Amino acid sequence: MQQQLTNLSDKELISRARKQHDREAEGVLMDRYSHLLVAVTLPHISQQSNLDPNVVFPSLLQRLSASLKTQTIYKVNEWILHIQKGYLGKPEKNTPFYPSRDGRDLLHIENTVDKAATNIIDRQDLIVRLEQALQRLNADDRALITQFYLENKPFSDLSATTGISREKLRTQLKAAKGKLAKLFMNGYVK
Amino acid sequence: MLSSKPNNDKVLKIFSTIRCLSRDQLPRYLEGRLTDVEKHLVEQHLTDCDLCFDALQALEKEENTDRYQDLTNKLQRYVHTSIQPVSHTQKIAQYTRKEKNKEHMLVYFWIVAFIGLGIGSVYVMRGHIRNQPPPMHIMAGLPAKDSSVTTAVSNPPVVTPVDHTTTPAPEATHTAPVTPPAKPVLAAAQKPVDSAALKKAAALKAAQHKAAADSIRKVQQANLLKQKQDSIRKAAADKADKDNKAKDDDNKAPAKPDNKPAQVAKEQKAPEPAKKESVAASPINSDEYLYKAAMVYQQQGNLSEAIDRYRRLEAVSSGKYVELARYQLAICYRSKGQMGKARRMFREVIRMDGSMKDAAKQALDSM
Repeated sequence: MQQQLTNLSDKELISRARKQHDREAEGVLMDRYSHLLVAVTLPHISQQSNLDPNVVFPSLLQRLSASLKTQTIYKVNEWILHIQKGYLGKPEKNTPFYPSRDGRDLLHIENTVDKAATNIIDRQDLIVRLEQALQRLNADDRALITQFYLENKPFSDLSATTGISREKLRTQLKAAKGKLAKLFMNGYVK
Repeated sequence: MLSSKPNNDKVLKIFSTIRCLSRDQLPRYLEGRLTDVEKHLVEQHLTDCDLCFDALQALEKEENTDRYQDLTNKLQRYVHTSIQPVSHTQKIAQYTRKEKNKEHMLVYFWIVAFIGLGIGSVYVMRGHIRNQPPPMHIMAGLPAKDSSVTTAVSNPPVVTPVDHTTTPAPEATHTAPVTPPAKPVLAAAQKPVDSAALKKAAALKAAQHKAAADSIRKVQQANLLKQKQDSIRKAAADKADKDNKAKDDDNKAPAKPDNKPAQVAKEQKAPEPAKKESVAASPINSDEYLYKAAMVYQQQGNLSEAIDRYRRLEAVSSGKYVELARYQLAICYRSKGQMGKARRMFREVIRMDGSMKDAAKQALDSM
């Protein structure tokens, strides 16, 4: 059972945990993201001496499991980070998780790309539209995206050539991607 | 157009989803132990995923990844231990719930089945009881019919022997006077007791018919003619009986001077009808037995057997019994609920125009 469940996607695991009250699916999902949760929470634990890992992680998992049943989860990583931040920032308050508008745009495009993977006609159409959107992007962002995505340049190369730190580079890339998504969704002219 | 560019497929890569970093990918990326393709994929994901990037930054700040590994192991173990028993108990609960549901369904099924059986048996019983009363009525009504039947039955033995005796009787009367003195001794020697009883009977008969004896010679002949015309009829038979007796008397009248020959003649005559009676009665008796057996079956309520008997009787016998058998058949059918057949039988009985005609008519009207 465990083996079969580990092959399932996050979405399916969530739906199983919700509809069939499958605790195993929930467990597999938690297991999948446990190392990231640990890595993200580590600095807090080492900084604040009052936090006991034996208390923090079980209560975090409980909170995750409780919100899993009620909340709309598009991306598990965003959801986990939100819950973790909420727990560490204001442990007494349970802040609900709402995916952002930009996030939903991105999610939509990601889904269409996913679906087009098997359909050649859709794929060609999507490529044309994406390239058109890319042409209408400003020059800096377009250059960054082409270098990073199309020319497969790693962060280290890019930061070396432009002299920007990796974090900044990442935020720039993220912003450029968001602009591209908006152009693709709204400013599309055939 | 740009689509002619070689890297046009790579545009899709911008928006393709990539899974979060796995447990061992994270430290390997930090240490730079990834292939170029893998590294690019990880970086592609890092631009989108805050969780992974935060985790990466947090790990970079830590001096060694031991604590990370240790805590991750602990957490995963905790997840496993907390999920496993719960899911196991959940499965057991689900299984028991299913079994209980099955049992409930079975219980409902049996309840419904027993209710159905009960209703069915009540229905059958009611049907049985509804079919029962007619035989009871028949049983109650039978004695009357039976007596009528027996009276009817008692008639034929009287009728048929007469039919047989009518012809030999005159011969006997003729022969008797011709051979007067030789036989009487033999006959007397053979049946001494018989002769005494017969003498008495003959004397009685003689006394009864003395009055009628003288006057009826002419009527006698007319009766003989009638007798030839329809020998089967009862009335004719009775007349023939009378006729015989009248003849006897005639014989006695001339033989009165010498009593002995007349007595002998009577001695000879009397046993003859008795014998013939028994011979003639045997087929009729078999019919009667068959009829009575059928009646017994009918009274016991074994209608199909009774019907079978009556059918046989109807096919085999003739005269009265056919009519009676048909009448009883009709009653059997009626009590069985086969009204069409019953009506048909009653109609046939009426058509036969016999003694049961009125009863059949009544029955038919009341149906």
